[in-house]
Formats: sequence, C-alpha cells, structure tokens
Amino acid sequence: MEFARTFLKVVSKAERTITLLAFAVMTLVIIADVFSRKLTGVGIAGAPRIGVFAMIATAFVSFGLASDARRHLRPKFADSWFPAHWDATITRVQELLTAAFCLAFAIVAVGVVQETYELGEATRMLRIPVWPMQAIIPFVFFIAAIRHSIFGLIPELRPVLEDAEGLDAIPSGVSDDAEGETA
Amino acid sequence: MSALVLSSSLVLMLLLRQRIVIMLMLAAGFSYLVWGDGKLGYVVLDTWAAADQEVLLSIPLFILAGNIMSRGSIARRLIAIMREAMNPIPGGLAIATVLSCAFFAAISGSSTVTLIAVGSVMYPALIDAGYSKRFALGALCAAGTLGIIVPPSIPLILYGVMTETSIADLFKAGIGPAILLTTLFVIYSMAVNWSKERAPFNFAAVIDALKNGIFALFMPVVILGGIYAGWFTATESAAVAVFYAVLVELLIHRDMTLAELKDTSLETATMMGSLFPLLMMALSINTFMAYEQIPAALVGWMTELVSDPVSFLLITMVLLLAVGCFMDIGSAILIISPLLMPLALSQGVDPVHFGVIMITNLEIGYLTPPLGLNLIVAMTAFKEDFWLIAKSVLPFLVLMIIGLLIVTFTPSLSLFLVK
Repeated sequence: MEFARTFLKVVSKAERTITLLAFAVMTLVIIADVFSRKLTGVGIAGAPRIGVFAMIATAFVSFGLASDARRHLRPKFADSWFPAHWDATITRVQELLTAAFCLAFAIVAVGVVQETYELGEATRMLRIPVWPMQAIIPFVFFIAAIRHSIFGLIPELRPVLEDAEGLDAIPSGVSDDAEGETA
Repeated sequence: MSALVLSSSLVLMLLLRQRIVIMLMLAAGFSYLVWGDGKLGYVVLDTWAAADQEVLLSIPLFILAGNIMSRGSIARRLIAIMREAMNPIPGGLAIATVLSCAFFAAISGSSTVTLIAVGSVMYPALIDAGYSKRFALGALCAAGTLGIIVPPSIPLILYGVMTETSIADLFKAGIGPAILLTTLFVIYSMAVNWSKERAPFNFAAVIDALKNGIFALFMPVVILGGIYAGWFTATESAAVAVFYAVLVELLIHRDMTLAELKDTSLETATMMGSLFPLLMMALSINTFMAYEQIPAALVGWMTELVSDPVSFLLITMVLLLAVGCFMDIGSAILIISPLLMPLALSQGVDPVHFGVIMITNLEIGYLTPPLGLNLIVAMTAFKEDFWLIAKSVLPFLVLMIIGLLIVTFTPSLSLFLVK
C-alpha cells in the first residue's frame, strides 16, 4: 500500500509539473504569436502548431489531474437507485472498469503510434515526426489504468471528494464538495 | 440488435457510475467495431485528429482569462459600479444584481462562477435591503445563467467545434439574446420591487466606482469589440483576454500574486483534463457518424415526420428542455448538436441561429431540478433549502422560456450582427 501511495504521489507531482509547463508554453506561444501578427503583420513561424501540441500535452497529461481531483464528469441521477450499502462495491467496480477501459485504449493507442512511426508521418509547418507527440496518448492512459486500478483495489487511496457533475461545475472558486459531501 | 446491446451496455455503465468519457469511449469503440470496419485504432486516430485543431486553443485560454479575472476583485468592482448607477431606479439593487451578473458573465464565461462571485456580495445585500429571500435567490440563480450565452461562452465554442460553425459568428449572435434575457430580468426585477426604497443618485460615487472598475468593464469591450471589428479571431481574442487579465490582475489591480496565477493555471489545466478527452471522444463518434452517413439518414427519417421548421423548432425546444433537466450542458452539446444540426439545416434554420437556440434552451437546464447546476451551487453557497431555491426560480424560468421563444422565432435578434 505504501508503494502504491508513493507511486500516486510521484505520478501526480510529475503530471502537475508537465501540465504547468505545457500550459505555460501554450499560452505564451499563442499570445506572442498574436501580438507579433497584430503589431508587425508577421506571426511567429510554427507558433500555432507548437501551441496546439502544448495544448494536446496539457489536455492528456491533465487527465490524471482530473482523476485525482475527481473532476471527470459523471451523470449522478442514478446513484440512488441501488441501496447505500452497495456503494463501496459499486465504487470498486467503477474504478476497475475505468481502469480496464483506459488500459484497452492505451493498448490500441500503442498500435496507432507504431503505425505512425513506421509511416514516418511529420507535422505540417514544423516538419517534425508526429509519433513522439502521439505517444502521450498510450502513456497517459497506461498511467490512468494503473491509477484507477489502485483506486479500485485500495479504496483508501481514492481521493475523497465529490465527482464533478457538469461542464460548469468545475470553475475556480467553487469547492470540489459543491454538494456538501466532503471527506 | 447491436443498438440494443450498446444501449444496454451504456445503461449498465450508468448504473456502475461510470464517467461520461468512459461511456463515450465504449460507444466509439463499439461503433467502429460493430458498425464500422472493425478497426479500433480509428478511435485513437479520430481522437488525435480532434485534438489537433487550432480552434480548440480558444477554450483553455478563455477559461484561464475568466479564472484569472474571477480570482481578483473584479466582481466587487463591477457590483460597486452597478449599485451606484442603479440606486435611484425602483428595485435598483435587484437591477444592479442582474446587470452585475451579465457583465461578470462576459468576463468569467462561467455561470456558476458568476453566481458565486456576484451572489456572495449581493445575496446578503439584497436581504439586508428588504428584498424577499425568494426573489434574491431566483434573481441570482437566473441571472447567473447568463454566463453561458453572454460571449465569450465555452458552450458556444463547443457548439462551434462540434458543428464546424464560426465561433466568432456565434459570439456575435449571442449578444442579442443575452441583452434580451438581461432586459427581461431587469424589467421583472423593477416591476416586483417597484415600492422598494430608492437612494438618490450620487454622481461622485458613480465616477469613483467607475474609476475603480473601468478595467473590468473594458474587458468585454476588448474581446467582443475585437471580434466584431474583425481584428481578432476567437483564438486571438482568447489570447488577448489572457494577456489583458494578467495585466489587470497582476499589475493594475494587484489582486493576484504569481503563485496564485500558477494555481489558477493548474486549475484551468485540470478542467481541460476532464473536458478535452470528452470533447475528443465526442468528435470521434461524430466523425464515425459522418462517415457512416448517419446524420443524412436521420434527416431523411425526420423529414417524413416533421414537415415545417416551426414544428421542428418546437420539438427541438421540448427535447432540449428535457435533456437540460438530466444532462450537463457540455455533454449535451457534444452529444446532441452533431445530430440536430443536419436536421436544422434541412429545415432551413441558420446554423449560427440554431447554436444560439440550443445554448439558450440548455441554459434553462441550469435552473431545473434534479440536476440544475445553479440550484445546487446556490444551495451550497447560500445554505438554503434546495426546494426553496427551485421554487424561487419559477418566475425567472417563465421569463427565460418567453425569451427562448423570442430567440427561436426571431432569427434576426441573433443574426443582426452576423450578417
């Protein structure tokens, strides 16, 4: 259990660092490009591509952050259809099922990345290979599979927050326990 | 038979409390495996193609700009301006509440942030000034929903991405309906609070409040003015909005530290982690449906049932009102808009106008039980009974349905800036 706890901590820290860096690159590159285009009439070559890749990296890597913060959207109206004492079991199944889907997605993604590598696909404008960027997908989903497996097998390590319910349910300033069920 | 298997699996997933992204993953995988050519790799390729679009950059940038501005003292400054300006009008404080929500929504782009930021100041103020609890709760919850129709609105961007409609045009089209709904709320607030005590107009106080809040008021002007004048695309205006927000909060208002900026960025990124995979999966299903010509088949089937645009729009309204009761707006747009859009086009409805109709329609879902997000947020934020809040929004729901009917059957209200 300690190993799993340490693993989750290290992974979360790495995800936060990568996400912040990618997010900063995305924001700064796009702002610089827009200002350059508006002020000098010429944008920064390849900046939108770099911005998009940084956005993709942010979006995928922060999938784990959203899992940690229980921000993945989930319809909750059927939650009360089962007796309350089934909750613990259903939660375990929920996490293990999520893990299984993430694992399946990661395995399929490995095949896709391999294909892209063999085809030698390169990006528009920047002319750099696509596969290292695409490799984020299987990597992130493998990590997600491990993370959700841990949540399912060792429920004590599952973040004790309320799941997000809607797109707008997750802005800054709104606590995660918007429905009053906190740890 | 296959459709039945998929539907049953999705219901089972719902019962097992699965995340929407996993349910969409199942739907996409099943579709390609059973109805497509059996290659699951296409789901990943579509996901990649969906993510690899410059237009998506506007989403995190607008959310970041909104989050930065929401963290500082913008709400307080805007409220001060509105209060001072509305003091001499009957129901002035109520009108100030509605207008503060409308302006703050244009900055934050979020309904719940608007509700909390404005509500935390205005709810106690309204109660202290003798406004009824029911009115105060109803006004805040309803005016809080303006966040999703007042540009820049993330749901409008999502609709634009899903249906390949110009986001700049959608932003322009959102202005008319936003003004209409704000006006309806203002008129109602004035009418029911006509006898409330008024304060004299204090010119010096208004100027003082304006001095403090001018940068907050200027943000929607920068974003919308830039788009309307054709200076910025949606992504460019989002980048400018972030730059402006950082400039104002970090250097002018000095309400935010670099550490807070880092936290806000991380929070925005975390939101991306839940929204983007969902968006990518939805776009993957969308690509599959387009490839299999499902929308075309749906149009063919629907045209046999519905012969005129009015019936189509009325059926759509009822459908979306029902959907809004059970589904969050983001998921609803991602899943339903690609299906409804071809039907709307077949009935001669303008895609931009249809986007505004959809968003206005789903906006009502913020106020309808059991999943009305603003009801839930208000219950927590103001520590009031859920059913009291649900009852308090009823008059505003009627106003919003009137507004929706006007928006739906008066296309020029949305399109006057677009064409």
